[in-house]
Amino acid sequence: MTMTARLTAPGWYRAALSVLAGALFAFGLVVLVRALYGYEPLVDGEAITTVALISMGVAFLLGIGCFDYWFRWASGAPTVPDDHSGHGARSWRDYFRVNTDHKVIGIQYIVTTFVFFVLGGLMAMLIRAELAAPGTQFVDPNTYNGLFSVHASLMIFLFIIPVFAGIANYVIPLMIGAPDMAFPRLNALSFWMLPVAGVMMTASFLAPGGAFATGWTAYAPLSTEMPVGQTFFTIAVQFAGASSIATALNFLVTIITMRAPGLTFFRMPLLVWANFTTSLLVVIATPFIAGSQFLVLFDRALGTHFFNPGGGGDVVMYQHIFWFYSHPAVYIMMLPGFGIVSEVISANARKPVFGYRMMAFSLVAIVILGFTVWAHHMFVSGMFSWLRVPMMITTMLIAVPTGIKIFSWLATLWRGVIHLTTPMLFALGFITMFTLGGISGIVLAILPVVIHVSDTYFVVAHIHYVLFGGSVFTIFAGLYFWFPKMTGRMYDETLGKIHFWLSFVFFNLTFGPMHFVGIDGMPRRVADYADQFASLNAIISVSSFLFGLSFLIFLYNMVTSWRNGPRAAANPWRAHTLEWQVSSPPPLFNFDDIPTVVGGPYEYGVPGAVHGVFKDREKEPVPAGTSGVAHE
Amino acid sequence: MLALATLASIVGVAIVYAIDWFPTQASTTSNDVDVLYDVLLFVSIPIFVGVMTVVVYSVMRFRARPGDMGDGEPIHGSARLELIWVIVPFVIVSVLSVYAWIVLDEQEEPRANEMVVRVTGQQFAWHFAYPDASGKTVRTDDLVLPEHRPVKFDITAEDVIHSFWVPAFRMKMDAVPGLTTSFRVTPNRQGNYSIVCTELCGLGHATMRQSLKVVPESEFAAWLEKKRGAGAANVSAGPSTTSTGVRSQ
Amino acid sequence: MESASVSFPARLEPGEKPVTHDHHGPPEANRSSRVDAQFLGMLLFIISEIMLFGAFFTAYFFIRGVANEAWPAEGTHLPVAVAGVNTAILISSSFTMHWALESAKNENRAGLRAGLLTTFLLGATFLAIQVNEYVHIGFAPGDHAQGSIFYGLTGLHGAHVFVGLTLLLFATVRAFRGHFTPKDHRGVEVPGIYWHFVDIMWILVYASIYVL
Repeated sequence: MTMTARLTAPGWYRAALSVLAGALFAFGLVVLVRALYGYEPLVDGEAITTVALISMGVAFLLGIGCFDYWFRWASGAPTVPDDHSGHGARSWRDYFRVNTDHKVIGIQYIVTTFVFFVLGGLMAMLIRAELAAPGTQFVDPNTYNGLFSVHASLMIFLFIIPVFAGIANYVIPLMIGAPDMAFPRLNALSFWMLPVAGVMMTASFLAPGGAFATGWTAYAPLSTEMPVGQTFFTIAVQFAGASSIATALNFLVTIITMRAPGLTFFRMPLLVWANFTTSLLVVIATPFIAGSQFLVLFDRALGTHFFNPGGGGDVVMYQHIFWFYSHPAVYIMMLPGFGIVSEVISANARKPVFGYRMMAFSLVAIVILGFTVWAHHMFVSGMFSWLRVPMMITTMLIAVPTGIKIFSWLATLWRGVIHLTTPMLFALGFITMFTLGGISGIVLAILPVVIHVSDTYFVVAHIHYVLFGGSVFTIFAGLYFWFPKMTGRMYDETLGKIHFWLSFVFFNLTFGPMHFVGIDGMPRRVADYADQFASLNAIISVSSFLFGLSFLIFLYNMVTSWRNGPRAAANPWRAHTLEWQVSSPPPLFNFDDIPTVVGGPYEYGVPGAVHGVFKDREKEPVPAGTSGVAHE
Repeated sequence: MLALATLASIVGVAIVYAIDWFPTQASTTSNDVDVLYDVLLFVSIPIFVGVMTVVVYSVMRFRARPGDMGDGEPIHGSARLELIWVIVPFVIVSVLSVYAWIVLDEQEEPRANEMVVRVTGQQFAWHFAYPDASGKTVRTDDLVLPEHRPVKFDITAEDVIHSFWVPAFRMKMDAVPGLTTSFRVTPNRQGNYSIVCTELCGLGHATMRQSLKVVPESEFAAWLEKKRGAGAANVSAGPSTTSTGVRSQ
Repeated sequence: MESASVSFPARLEPGEKPVTHDHHGPPEANRSSRVDAQFLGMLLFIISEIMLFGAFFTAYFFIRGVANEAWPAEGTHLPVAVAGVNTAILISSSFTMHWALESAKNENRAGLRAGLLTTFLLGATFLAIQVNEYVHIGFAPGDHAQGSIFYGLTGLHGAHVFVGLTLLLFATVRAFRGHFTPKDHRGVEVPGIYWHFVDIMWILVYASIYVL
């Protein structure tokens, strides 16, 4: 290709050129506007940065080629809606361009999010190094505040939320018997917004005044007064948020309109249910964080008074808007994990999921209750005091549907034939650790106690029990479980088990003691602490480093197995759901013919039961009563 | 297995009760909070231990023997069991909510002979003001409280959100610019206790720690008198607010 | 906005040959719902847009209801009548939009083009009047919280009008280039839904900012 062709065809060359143009555009626009209004000085770094973050982000998406098709369509030029020119991967290069294949996008998501997971993890190591002893060790307070803020933001917006979207992207269309997602090009756009957000958050360390240092919560008015690094967060969140809304919308439409014949809602695997409910949460709640960050941006860039009490604004308002998203967000980060665990446990215990319908209903109950509890993050914020007790009660009630899920998984184990594979170990580790996190969650709902422990290390312990012992364990379970399907190769079981046990032990040694220091009086988000907490913090720091090292085993296992692992069979777990009935990895369009679903997804132990039948294959025996195609 | 779970629960509860969780109690309601927490432990530890027991027991008892390619029993559910684990947790959380509400009301009940102390958070220090009946206000940078005298803290902030936490009192409230928040305590134990800022407020957040002193009533009166005399500059007439547009919610 | 879906057979433009693949194409997906995928997608998008407005209305509620600031701010005046006329303009554009869609369904090409063009022009007029109001209103977003939320809500809505106009522009261009038939008018219908949403949202914004 000539250079001109490279610069005009969608791809990295054009993206680089386009990003450069975006930067110049921002510079020009700001200088022009300031000249028109007669502002001095003409060149304002903060204003240019604000505009540039937006324009360069959009320019990257334009350059890499996310919008090409739509522009052709909009101009009325001939287009084929069923265009598959960007579908599928023949070489590794196809993973580095705009691709419309949900399987490629799934892998793109997972690999990208793990890059940010490693980055966030390294920041956590630095944080623990600083906290190994009281006083200042390695970083100054400003850098420290930046480190934990970026750590949390990356883990939440660039790892847990999108990695679930990545796993679901790969698995959901296969599970429901669809050849792809409903909107493949929108799917590609959703993915490419992620690296933009992630790079922006990470790059904030280069900003004058340091990275954004207000935590991932970015409470106003601190966030409206911080140096320009804060703007990186404000705008990166918009990209990450838009990405998750677009993906969620895509999942909802796919699940509603593209299920295989016979796949009624109550025959869907629970992972599909989990992503369906999660996507509802995302579509409804995510605009609120976008709104909160828009208002912060306006306060910063335009001098508005939304959060300035001197000008008639309201400080507590920020927290209401923020938590109206960010509390549902914790379920966005947990429900897909519930789905994964249901799949893993039933396949590895060789039993139907106990109380399938209650499992589905409890997901819906969590979604509904999830919208009624946001203010339990604000018990000591000075909000309306009458709102506290109702919020405490609704928060406590969420324990009921969550309890249903835990007890149903336990009942699924009962009298099963349990295979302790690596994904199963992580699923069982999840159940125990998440129970502990749930219990500390109850403690954090009980008003008189939470008044004492809010904003302490007890909260840090709680969120790591639910998000690491909870979500991340399910992510590991899911990745080990579907690794053979995604790569066509088996991972190393021994290494997997070592990874689990090291993670499990050092996870508890790292986050367990945080409960004690928290209740005893150590606040969170501090670079320095009173001497009385020194010994426990030293233990926490040492464990956290060993905990971090255990991740290297996972990384080694994944990389070497992907390259040289033994070939995987189509269905190594002898599971019933549809994704295991096609080859590993699946064919380009998933199915040669769409299968027909004739029974439940987890009919282990039921003689002759099948979930889906394929036209082109030898008919498996269908027991009486379940034969025939059921329609909604 | 039930016996195993019970035994393990007893051991679990014994272990968590052996841990000294809380800092010193220095107010009349500190003990209520600690007791409430103990009750929570008593209810929740058996649940956690029970879950652990079922997992470990199942894994040992039902583990597949090598080469076993069979399936488990196709048990799809049990309406009775499912009903039980909806109703029992529901009852537990309801009872706990009511109990918590009672403790909260007790903590927040206004008391006779209440002394008001105004607390102002600023990056990165706390300031205090003692208004008295004559409308005079004594401003100080250190907090001294008389023992056994109910105190109401009226809290606000000058710049960004801070949070006023006295671990020994088990009480905490955000200091919010433009808003006056409050909490009540009755100190009942003399000594020095720490004040900690628990809301991220910028560069010096980690070191925004001060201490307060609880002293006998007479000693407090003498201290206040001394402060009042220590320069008319510190005394201003009339109730003054530190920031404009302060209101209560 | 018409993002394609593999669930539908290829709809080829007049005079175009089907694209051949070096592999066999995807199997046709089962349609498990009567609802059209793009219609559903637009509805979900609108739900999320409503929530975005919800966040701004929360700010409005706190500034006006909780903080109890004077409304409008002392010494300022909101041009209720002019904005009322503007409201009428925007609402009438919903009717012309509907006319355009009906024309497309009845193969009335002239009606389709005229309907889309009128809708576009009405929308553009609305936006122009809104900008003119900003110029003459006499307060800035940074003057007080009431000004912030006034510009916040009307500006957010204005941005949506702009997006709606962009979508309408696409539809209009395509209409003039001969697209859309009685069977295939999704490219008019889907932007139309969005346009109706923008209109209804304006009624809420107008009511809460100017009238109440």
